[in-house]
Amino acid sequence: MDVRTKETIRYLGYGKHAVDEKTLQSIEESFEELVRIAEKKSISQIFDLCVKDENQLVIENIEIFSRNLRTNLRDCKQVVLFAATLGTDVDRLIRKTQVVDMAKTVVMQACAAALLEEFCDELQNEVAEQLQKQGKYIRPRFSPGYGDFSILHQKDFISLLDTPKMIGLSMTESYMLTPTKSVTAVIGISETQTDCDSNACENCKKTDCKYKRG
Amino acid sequence: MLRKLGKELLFFDGGMGTLLQKEGLLPGELPENWNIEKREIIQNIHRAYYEAGSHILLTNTFGANRIKYHGTPYSLQAVIEAAVKNVESVSEDVIVAFDMGPTGKLLKPMGDLSFEDAYEAFKEAAIYGEQAGAQMIHIETMSDTYELKAAVLAAKENTNLPVTATVIFDEHGKLLTGADVATVVALLEGLRVDALGINCGMGPEQMLPILKEIRKYTSLPIIVKPNAGLPKQKDGNTYYDVLPNAFAEALCEIVKCGACVIGGCCGTTPEHIQAMVEKCKGMEIVKPTYKTATLVSSYGKTVEIGQAPIIIGERINPTGKSKFKQALKEHDLDYILKEAIMQQDKGAHILDVNVGLPDIDEVSMMKEAVTEIQSIVNLPLQIDTVNVEALEAAMRIYNGKPMVNSVSGKQESMDAVFPLIQKYGGVVVGLTLDENGIPNTAEGRVAIAGRIIEEAKKYGIDKKDVVIDVLTMTISSEPDGAKVTLDALKKVREIYGVQTVLGVSNVSFGLPNRPIINSNFYTMAMQGGLTSAIINPASEAMMNAYYSYCALMGYDENCGQYIANCGHVSETNQTTVGKNDLNLNTAIERGLKEEAYLIVKELVREQNPMDIIQECLIPALDKVGKGFENGTVFLPQLLMSAEAAKQAFEVLKEQMSAEGDSEVKKEKIILATVKGDIHDIGKNIVKVLLENYSFHVIDLGKDVEPEVIVEQAIKHGVRLVGLSALMTTTVINMEKTIKLLRNQLPTCKVMVGGAVLNQEYADMIDADFYGKDAMQSVYYAQSLFKAN
Repeated sequence: MDVRTKETIRYLGYGKHAVDEKTLQSIEESFEELVRIAEKKSISQIFDLCVKDENQLVIENIEIFSRNLRTNLRDCKQVVLFAATLGTDVDRLIRKTQVVDMAKTVVMQACAAALLEEFCDELQNEVAEQLQKQGKYIRPRFSPGYGDFSILHQKDFISLLDTPKMIGLSMTESYMLTPTKSVTAVIGISETQTDCDSNACENCKKTDCKYKRG
Repeated sequence: MLRKLGKELLFFDGGMGTLLQKEGLLPGELPENWNIEKREIIQNIHRAYYEAGSHILLTNTFGANRIKYHGTPYSLQAVIEAAVKNVESVSEDVIVAFDMGPTGKLLKPMGDLSFEDAYEAFKEAAIYGEQAGAQMIHIETMSDTYELKAAVLAAKENTNLPVTATVIFDEHGKLLTGADVATVVALLEGLRVDALGINCGMGPEQMLPILKEIRKYTSLPIIVKPNAGLPKQKDGNTYYDVLPNAFAEALCEIVKCGACVIGGCCGTTPEHIQAMVEKCKGMEIVKPTYKTATLVSSYGKTVEIGQAPIIIGERINPTGKSKFKQALKEHDLDYILKEAIMQQDKGAHILDVNVGLPDIDEVSMMKEAVTEIQSIVNLPLQIDTVNVEALEAAMRIYNGKPMVNSVSGKQESMDAVFPLIQKYGGVVVGLTLDENGIPNTAEGRVAIAGRIIEEAKKYGIDKKDVVIDVLTMTISSEPDGAKVTLDALKKVREIYGVQTVLGVSNVSFGLPNRPIINSNFYTMAMQGGLTSAIINPASEAMMNAYYSYCALMGYDENCGQYIANCGHVSETNQTTVGKNDLNLNTAIERGLKEEAYLIVKELVREQNPMDIIQECLIPALDKVGKGFENGTVFLPQLLMSAEAAKQAFEVLKEQMSAEGDSEVKKEKIILATVKGDIHDIGKNIVKVLLENYSFHVIDLGKDVEPEVIVEQAIKHGVRLVGLSALMTTTVINMEKTIKLLRNQLPTCKVMVGGAVLNQEYADMIDADFYGKDAMQSVYYAQSLFKAN
């Protein structure tokens, strides 16, 4: 089973249970449709990072207060800001599916999330490879809304990267990204390699989460 | 100078943003402020472009609209005035073009900015621009046709200035929101801009193929403003690497390929423009040529009438359909959407939309239907109404160039409809009837067609945008009816060379086995010059006729469509269930939709519907629900079972109403996703399950204002409202809604759910119940209504 199928099953809340044949087939069909219509687009740019005190960080001219992000970016002097989207047609397909079949919709929704994560992983790996040539290393990506990193910073990412124009990514008044299957994130660049696990899920202390990996 | 547009080569200026960044503009800083704060820098840039040879200079107002430009030390008007003055300061000998860029927001229904709000923002800016002295309005860097339409309409309706527009295509010739070249051209020509084209996104070389594609479709002068190459990155900075001379060479090629106005975008400098002017000055332009194709478009797709026959799906129309009427009265949009999806799947190219009923508000219903259909189906729509107000409302918010059904030879009709086509663009169906009714002869109908075409010309509407309907008559009452129609069809094709349309199935009223007559008449009509037809794409006979005709006439390469659609034996007669061991309970438990449908169809012949519900459906659903709670059944399975049960319920409901049993009175529950939240999958899951348990769900949709929820709750007298929110930023609106409900309808209970919520949060915002999953809300609703 490939990674994105495994991830989809996890998002659907199956935990360690075996997944039924019908759902598996639905997952397969959903991926087929999604891959056909997704317009993957992304943009990234390197910015200087300045750590002011315990919880305060400054990226370009954006001030961020977040203990979690501060931990994630410890010892970093630069960051990559990046944004990625699967495009509006994915939203349309999910809306259309909702009208005819809710079971298919929840599956497709999970598949789209997995596809987006896969896309972000690819982008992150590309960044890592490029930086490694310069002897630099990356930290796992961290998005507004993770931990105490306020979702309100979505706005700064969109403005710094000019995402509406570059990749068609904007946000609503309530800071939701549109198209909905989109991500903004910061990736720390460090001179030293850390044993930081790229899989934040395993690091999480919560044990009763039904989405827990592994 | 503008009179030279399309006759002589004109030069725009080059990039602004990239130059300002060099001067110290920070990422995220608003460049418009510099019109006042650093006017010398702005004026110097304008002057440099003027001296380089630009005829048209763009004001530094790319983001000067109230959506992007706010919370600033200056008013929008002050900034726009300063921007125009800055260009004027350079010379009297330049054209001041007021620059309008996108809002940076995605429009509804994919985003949260309404078409009207986008329109208002552009309107305000355009008015300030004209007042300040701009001589034209240039809309640029658009990547969404809907926003583009709002901007063009705002500029044209509120100023007297010429309007030009350019968009960002990617290397595949697509906008970010999916539109292709033909779609953009159809929209902009329909809205009657003065010139159109492409800017930003790519360098000149990559734009060449797109330019050629634009030229294939447009009759207007073309503007091309490339970047100085594709954006590249080094050390975290974006840069462009096509140097002035190479840029000039490439632009020279672009002029040869049909551009009438050229300039530069990101990364280009006065040096680029100077080299370009030196290289291209004096070149003859390739004059725009008139295109005669009949194009109808949606947000992402264009259909040409006049090549292979076009199918216009007729199913979205309440005439003679009691279920449809019921759906309209109950505001059941899902019913309409299902019809739309079905017709698309069956092969329709365009969908007719008619929602006219005497006792509903057709204007708002039409707007809503068009908006909702366009959010899930990419086919162009044919707006079908006799209500002019509804027609205009729908044409205004339609994302694309619609088909309009219809205008007739009556003066009153033409006076009402043609101005709308002139303003919004569209392809209109011209019915060959007038004040004296429908002529009995082919000649009579041909004459009316001629008058319609002539009258359209007065509004600048070319005959390519008029599709003539010579009207299908019923042969059981008029023996010559079909002959006259076919004769008239042939004649209008010969005499006027226009495209044609017919509502085919009228022909067989009163006869048995209507599909036989209909499909044969359809084939004869196509052979006689029918280029589009309003039919039911779910009718096998009609589609067989269509696929056969296309295969026979060489419209179907390798007969591929024919083989795919007519290559297998019809399976519609197989009504027996394959697996004998399956009963209704297991079919539902295993989520087998079709099987559940077929089994229940058999069962209702012998059993009472209420017994089937009590003995099979409810126990099966309960079992699955319990399984979900115990962690042995998962969400997709729970919903598959729910969908299977829904199918079974449909059959039983029909049976009960056929037997005259009134349905059991259901408890009403309102569901809504709160204001600001556009994710509604969670709410829809709850809806499916509640409906399975016989609750009447009034679904208010997503992004719903607290006032609307309360108003509807009072109106329907509901005792339970379910609210959903996905984000921390929208829970506040959930709280507001609950407060307002408590105040105005204290007897009403509120259950909440959604990704960010938990019991603690729910208590904090004073909800009566927190449903951690969809089944919990069903149990809560059951307990609540049982207790009372």
